[in-house]
Amino acid sequence: MGGEPYLSIRPMRIVISSDPRLLHVLRGVVRYRAQEAGFGPAEVEYLTLAIDEAVANVMRHAYGNRRDARLALEILTFPDRLEFVVEDTGPKVEPEALRPRALDDVRPGGLGTYFINCCMDAISYDENFAGGNRLRMVKRLPPKTSSRDEYSSQERG
Amino acid sequence: MNIHLRNADNISIIDCSGDVDLYSSTHLRETLLTALRSGAPGVLVNMTDVGYIDSSGIATLVEGLQLSRETKTRFGLYGLRSNARAVLELAHLHKVFNIFNDEHEALEKISSTEPFGGV
Repeated sequence: MGGEPYLSIRPMRIVISSDPRLLHVLRGVVRYRAQEAGFGPAEVEYLTLAIDEAVANVMRHAYGNRRDARLALEILTFPDRLEFVVEDTGPKVEPEALRPRALDDVRPGGLGTYFINCCMDAISYDENFAGGNRLRMVKRLPPKTSSRDEYSSQERG
Repeated sequence: MNIHLRNADNISIIDCSGDVDLYSSTHLRETLLTALRSGAPGVLVNMTDVGYIDSSGIATLVEGLQLSRETKTRFGLYGLRSNARAVLELAHLHKVFNIFNDEHEALEKISSTEPFGGV
């Protein structure tokens, strides 16, 4: 998955039931992997928001709020990026439903896909995925002058 | 997430703590809409202890804002942490809501007779 899985560092695949009470568990895992990869606090929160929205969309739209279905989140760490893949076995989603809405209309719904698009660098929907939906989201890692390097230099100093 | 509804100076205050997400936003929605239909002149959401909010939580607040306009209720938020404020800004909604720093300021503004945004 993701084209070059053999390069991924400690790939992780989590399968959960489609119960929104479990969203906080996934958020914890995403935060951990994002911090570990070197993202700063604000980016970690934006990444966490994007993945939370993608999984919540599966629960609401692909499964119609059923809580007994299954979905998977895969997290792949590459030297230059994090990849997140969300898979479900629900009915195929129309690609139109994945496009974010305009914000000039203040109304309650439709913000989830907008947040995903804002927070990720690349998003692709696998139309050939058999038996459900697969959404791949990519976030490039920060430049090498990241907090990891700063931390390392402090350690050395 | 924990939600508690209380009264201060005739204003309904909803104290929220924890994460507001797809699961917990339904509880916030029930409490918020009930408060806005109660006839109270003003409703405030205390977000001091909200560490995370997603689009379902934002949608709940927007629904509350819309109902407040229908019921002519003064409506505001206070105590937003940087995370929650960042999500509102991402949605370009930070200027749509009445947002106050703390309860003291919120009660002072919502109880005054001066024009109040959102109503």
